[in-house]
Amino acid sequence: MLKFLKQVTDYTKEAVQAARFIGQGLSVTFDHMQRRPITVQYPYEKLIPSERFRGRIHFEFDKCISCEVCVRVCPINLPVVDWEFNKETKKKKLNHYSIDFGVCIFCGNCVEYCPTNCLSMTEEYDLSTYDRHELNFDNVALGRLPYKVTEDPMVQPLRELAYLPKGVLDPHGLPPGSRRAGKLPEEILEEAEGNGAK
Amino acid sequence: MNSGIDLQGSFIQILVDLGLTAEVARVAWLPLPMLLVLVGATLGVLVTTWLERKISAAAQQRIGPEFAGPLGMLIPIADGLKLLVKEDIIPAKADSLLFTLGPAIVVIPVFLSFLIVPFGQNLLITDLGIGIFLWISLSSIAPIGLLMAGYASNNKYSLLGGLRAAAQSISYEIPLALSVVAIAMMSNSLSTIDIVQQQSGYGILGWNVWRQPIGFLIFWIAALAECERLPFDLPEAEEELVAGYQTEYAGIKFGLFYLGSYVNLVLSSLFVSVLYLGGWNFIIPIEVMADWIGVSETTPWLQVITGSLGIIMTLLKAYLLVFLAILLRWTLPRVRIDQLLDLGWKFLLPVSLVNLLLTAALKLTFPVAFGG
Repeated sequence: MLKFLKQVTDYTKEAVQAARFIGQGLSVTFDHMQRRPITVQYPYEKLIPSERFRGRIHFEFDKCISCEVCVRVCPINLPVVDWEFNKETKKKKLNHYSIDFGVCIFCGNCVEYCPTNCLSMTEEYDLSTYDRHELNFDNVALGRLPYKVTEDPMVQPLRELAYLPKGVLDPHGLPPGSRRAGKLPEEILEEAEGNGAK
Repeated sequence: MNSGIDLQGSFIQILVDLGLTAEVARVAWLPLPMLLVLVGATLGVLVTTWLERKISAAAQQRIGPEFAGPLGMLIPIADGLKLLVKEDIIPAKADSLLFTLGPAIVVIPVFLSFLIVPFGQNLLITDLGIGIFLWISLSSIAPIGLLMAGYASNNKYSLLGGLRAAAQSISYEIPLALSVVAIAMMSNSLSTIDIVQQQSGYGILGWNVWRQPIGFLIFWIAALAECERLPFDLPEAEEELVAGYQTEYAGIKFGLFYLGSYVNLVLSSLFVSVLYLGGWNFIIPIEVMADWIGVSETTPWLQVITGSLGIIMTLLKAYLLVFLAILLRWTLPRVRIDQLLDLGWKFLLPVSLVNLLLTAALKLTFPVAFGG
């Protein structure tokens, strides 16, 4: 009999505890309702991509020496380098260059290994098209520079989380001139150089 | 107790005064409540889906629908129109008759149950003698439709979803009915009007939730399970079953399931507010307030105010519960099927039986407070 009563009390205790935990959870969700949405309303507001952002690849036609290093370092040999040997100057002449961004994984190996720095990363990431073949950029399309988010009059630029002042989580309505947490790369560099001079 | 506004009586009286016979006037009245139920329930669903989206967004620090109308209020209409104009697909290997019948059987009983939801003394469609048990019996038709839809889809996920829906509905029907029995025992009646009437008189203190706290909780949990809301949305658990019995449905048939589940949620909330939260009663009884300002209860303008306050209070209570359901959705994780059946059979059923016994005992000991 006593054992049964103990079972009953244990069961009740458990049920009450479960109810308390549910109440706790509910209060958490309820508290979240009064917080400001952190939504970035995309076509109107955009995050400023970081310095290391790996976006669409930019290509400078005149710098290219058709060495095909980009093709060799590419995981899937994606860049198409169309060149012919000019017998008079004894140099390779580049005719066409293209990268299909529908297949590219934006790993940045080509940019890393290009001996003449004719490849570089841009901040462009909105590459949606109605036809996948439109993503196959030729050397003209690769040579275009994207709009900078900060200079586009249609777009409200917003800072990414790592670029917000300490303790701030919402990029909306930051006071002008507010600094990100920590030192800027230039400051770190300056400091290091200062120490080196001593 | 005065009878308040009698819309049917006045409508028939006007038509009779215009020169029609009483029978014709009665027939002319008939389609009005039907239309009212359909329009009212659909409007309620539109509001609920909008609330669901907005509250979910707020709970997750999103904005939610914003551009379709002010604050995105037209989004439910856009949803409904989209479902209406989409292609109605019946899978080639499906049983087309059962496949079509399924959603209808799910939706019709839910709408029928609105017949007995009271918004005021005379503001309900029919004051049936079996009252609240009409809802209980009608809501047990829905699992047949779900099972039918699941079976007819000829898809393993649909079948599993349908079976789960049936198992869930049947196991949670029992605690639901038992907690309603406890209420009926205290009210000495099954009529929803009498149940609300018995709670009125003492304002918020007279509501059944104080006399039936356990029953209230059991009823709410069971009602959530009946509506297949999270944390009990196992029949549609998308991680396991794609969309359960709805997997093969598209267009307006899917829309009917969607509509049905939301109407069911609104209906359950309405019934919780009727059974436990004093229905159309204000926090302070209207009669007492009328006494304070020295107005007779039978004054026409006061009756209009009482009527509209009744509707507002019922809806307010119901939508508070809808809000709670949505908040619960984002708070609790989904239970497993064994946990669900455990909770239904091993927890809710014995506790609701104890609650019933306790109510009976209290009714015998304190007939004054527990409706002797």
